[in-house]
Amino acid sequence: MKKILFALLMASLLLVTCTRREGKLTFMVGGAPSEVEFWEKLTESFKEETGIPVDLIRQPTDTDQRRQGLVIPLKSKQKDPDLFLMDVVWIGQFAASKWLQPLDGYIRREGFLLEPFFGRVLESADRYNGKLIALPVYVDGGLLYYRRDLLQRFGYRAPPRSWPELVRCAVKIQTTLRRENPNFWGFGWQGAQYEGLVCNFLEFAASNGGGFTTQEGKLCLNLPENIEALEFIVDLIHRYKISPPNTYTEMKEEEVRSLFQSGNALFERNWPYAWSLHQSGGSAVKGKVGIAPLPGFAGKPGASALGGWHIGISRYSDAPAQAWEFVKFVTSYKVQKELVVGLGWNPGRVDIYDDQEVRGKIPHLQALKGVFQTTVSRPNLPYYPQISEVIQRWVNRALAGKIGAKEALDKAQKEAEKVVRAYE
Amino acid sequence: MNQGLKAKGLWGIYGFILPLFLFIFGFILFPVVGTFWTSLFRDVAFLPKRFLGLANYIRLLKDPNFWRSARFTLLFTFGSVALEVALGTIFALLLNEKLPLRGWLRAAVLIPWAIPIAISARVWELGYNYNYGLANYLFLKLGICSGPINWLGSGTGAFLSLLLADIWKTTPFVTIILLAGLQAIPEELYQQAKVDGTNFYQRFIKITLPLLRPVLLVAILFRTIDALRIFDLVYVLTHGGPGGMTTSLSLYGYKFFLSSDFGYGSAVSVACFLIAFSLSILYLRVGKFGRN
Repeated sequence: MKKILFALLMASLLLVTCTRREGKLTFMVGGAPSEVEFWEKLTESFKEETGIPVDLIRQPTDTDQRRQGLVIPLKSKQKDPDLFLMDVVWIGQFAASKWLQPLDGYIRREGFLLEPFFGRVLESADRYNGKLIALPVYVDGGLLYYRRDLLQRFGYRAPPRSWPELVRCAVKIQTTLRRENPNFWGFGWQGAQYEGLVCNFLEFAASNGGGFTTQEGKLCLNLPENIEALEFIVDLIHRYKISPPNTYTEMKEEEVRSLFQSGNALFERNWPYAWSLHQSGGSAVKGKVGIAPLPGFAGKPGASALGGWHIGISRYSDAPAQAWEFVKFVTSYKVQKELVVGLGWNPGRVDIYDDQEVRGKIPHLQALKGVFQTTVSRPNLPYYPQISEVIQRWVNRALAGKIGAKEALDKAQKEAEKVVRAYE
Repeated sequence: MNQGLKAKGLWGIYGFILPLFLFIFGFILFPVVGTFWTSLFRDVAFLPKRFLGLANYIRLLKDPNFWRSARFTLLFTFGSVALEVALGTIFALLLNEKLPLRGWLRAAVLIPWAIPIAISARVWELGYNYNYGLANYLFLKLGICSGPINWLGSGTGAFLSLLLADIWKTTPFVTIILLAGLQAIPEELYQQAKVDGTNFYQRFIKITLPLLRPVLLVAILFRTIDALRIFDLVYVLTHGGPGGMTTSLSLYGYKFFLSSDFGYGSAVSVACFLIAFSLSILYLRVGKFGRN
């Protein structure tokens, strides 16, 4: 008797966990505890406003793991999650796998305005084969952080506008400061073999008029402009010696940030998140930091790689209409403003950057607006992860001094073409 | 006893074996066969699924990156297993002697092994760090070098750094297994040999080593299989860098899973399995395991 009761109990438990309430949304999101907490509060207020309950599926902070956590349910056509956040570089693959619902229908029907969003971001990241399949929640881009106090001390009025200028300035200040601090470096950036290196290299290449794809979308990794840019960043480490030797082994965002934040670097290439940390209590550079757009090569404008997270609706969602309501909510003026005020994130809507209250609270946001309007995107290809791996490997090998810049990019191009052939 | 067996019949006997079989099928055979099955398809998230036969394996054989990671993985395996077994044997012999605080020493030896690899890899990452790592601090303090060294900066440097971290981490495992083997050798044999006037070296070669062989083989086998699928250490310390020179087979396969090419990723995993499997067979043959 007891056994039967126990079996019944287990069976009913199973039943309870399996049934879904109609119209309930599930939203998959990860990140730091403060971010997940923010989303939790947001889903609560969404429920109050619309009456639609949203279940949050928490994911880890690590980007690769977040991706893996999404691919498994989507590949097996699960109804959950209805909605999720995507790193900008996943969108191509998710769209090509037909995992995302096109939003054009809703937009047309409701007259939803796309003007408030960064047009360049929408076109390069959220549109796939002509269809809009995601909307930017927040955007990221590479920035130049500099030590205002040091530039002043050495008589510079403004941060460098070109790379050669940056090198001259860094060499001069580094040489002098080394006498008091042997660990001082001119310029920290991300050169380890990982995704961040692709962003950094893209910025150097694009600021020399190069890039990864032609106008028609064909890969062109070994453009002369790219080779020149690669030679330049190899020189930063090995010739001018203003970037530390571990740039190509250990330097990721956090390593670069801590180098700069401990007062051991003059310039830093990093994402906007570093700003508030540089200004925090324990920081050695608090109040001494300035932000500028990244420099370009002689006479050319600088370029900033586009990062950030976008929201999309699963094709297998059983409540797409409710999901669209949530997308509208997350990208609304009110919520986007909360995003920047509460978490310090850079909203995907342009109009927030001109908000009086926001400008008062976060003065540097105005400078970011210009940066985001001119970002460059990594190729929006379904097999991008493998192209990225090829770029990482060969650029990193050139940085290690194991191979010349031209040979490295020629080989990268050849390998990338092989990847294209395997998947097209 | 016999009566009971007869009464319950064959079902009684198989009933006892059944859980083991279920376990082997469910957790060992099913995933292996499943991975092999997937490797026969073009199973890419963004392309229609298609049966390919052995095409993924042909692509594998022509893939220079696969061969480079296979070479790295084998070099790493042989290097780490050889050194770990040599060191493990020495430690086991020492710990088998009547030392003061022997219990404490035995426990202390196990500490590196008790730490999860991902965490010990982070510790080594700090140790190797160019700016504030312990290795550079010590080398500079002792005047061995004039400036800090970028330990992970060259292919060889990264390889040796990984090797050292792995040896630190898993020598204790070999030590403990061998120690158990040593304790099973009857003390009388050594006393007899001493009466016969042999020295330590002769006793080691003629008594310890032959009697330790089965245990030694188990240790080598376990370590080889483990080292062949090295992932966490590489993932944390070098991420395959610099320039892809330390990409292990598991990391190589993982990158395909990450880019949603499950078919080819599975083929890499099967290749990895086949290498481990054939090495195990080879060991068992050469070591004459199970034969007296």
